[in-house]
Amino acid sequence: MEVAVINPQEIALYACAAIAVYSAIRVIAEKNTLKKLPFINVMSFAVAGSIALLLPHPLTILAAAAYFIGTTLESNAIASTYAGGVREDE
Amino acid sequence: MPGDIESILIAAIVSWVLFITIDILFGLPKHGGVSGAREIAAAIEKGGGEIHGGYMMGNIVCSPDASAGTLLAACGVYIAGIPGGLAAAVLVYIGNRICYDPGYAGTTGALAATFVIYGFTLLGFSAAHFIAGMVIAILTIQGISHLHASRLISHIWRWRL
Amino acid sequence: MNEFLVFAFAGLLVLGTGATIFETDPFKKLISLSILIGGVIPFIVDQGLLDVATAVALIAPLTTIFILMVTRRSERGT
Repeated sequence: MEVAVINPQEIALYACAAIAVYSAIRVIAEKNTLKKLPFINVMSFAVAGSIALLLPHPLTILAAAAYFIGTTLESNAIASTYAGGVREDE
Repeated sequence: MPGDIESILIAAIVSWVLFITIDILFGLPKHGGVSGAREIAAAIEKGGGEIHGGYMMGNIVCSPDASAGTLLAACGVYIAGIPGGLAAAVLVYIGNRICYDPGYAGTTGALAATFVIYGFTLLGFSAAHFIAGMVIAILTIQGISHLHASRLISHIWRWRL
Repeated sequence: MNEFLVFAFAGLLVLGTGATIFETDPFKKLISLSILIGGVIPFIVDQGLLDVATAVALIAPLTTIFILMVTRRSERGT
């Protein structure tokens, strides 16, 4: 009969999942579009950490990095487009 | 060996100090790196915050900086030890260039965090503690009150000058 | 993945979907879509489909960026 031991991976996963839900609620509650973006940033951190904790496999580093850099790029695009666009284009 | 909750809290404090130090050393609060960062800083300042803290928070959102480097290094060390952390540093470097950011804050953060976290794993911590710790650290800066966080960062920035 | 985690990430899915439906401003809808994607990715990773997760994680932000580029050009164009 196995004894249920809480290992660090599980506690860290619970923390990341809880922080993801909290920051998603803060995103929705925030009225100003630009101020939503830091909360999305926190959610990306939490989800990227959860990805790495759920499946420890070398390719997971690539998946977590791809997800995180993807959301960073997306937030950057939303922030610069919201305010009037990047000056270098066209 | 400390219990899990204390380990996560200690890891959070260590990650917080690490990424704030490296970001301030690289001058992130000085000016907005990409245009999106400047817009976010302006929005935070309009809400009552201070502009230098706003610049740093905008830079954290719009480009992988030391906080991103620390998180991905923690994931790398958790999965594959020091080689995993170094691989994460390479990925952060690529991410910086993809986001048009010419700086090295992210890569330096990832490299420093790899060795710091590996050192802590020799003391009985698990890199998983640092993953959760880094998420908690970024939550305190970007996820609770932008107003107070920007004032705190501006305060620390003034110490440096 | 035990029940707490399933509820948490499914909660992200529900919040993201609800917010996307009820928000009116297009930028806010795009931000709510990224909450939705953030909730989906852990489920994909949990099943072991790392390549699918990497593909979704790269394609979803790219489509957002392309949407923004198309919308911006149609505002300024003509």
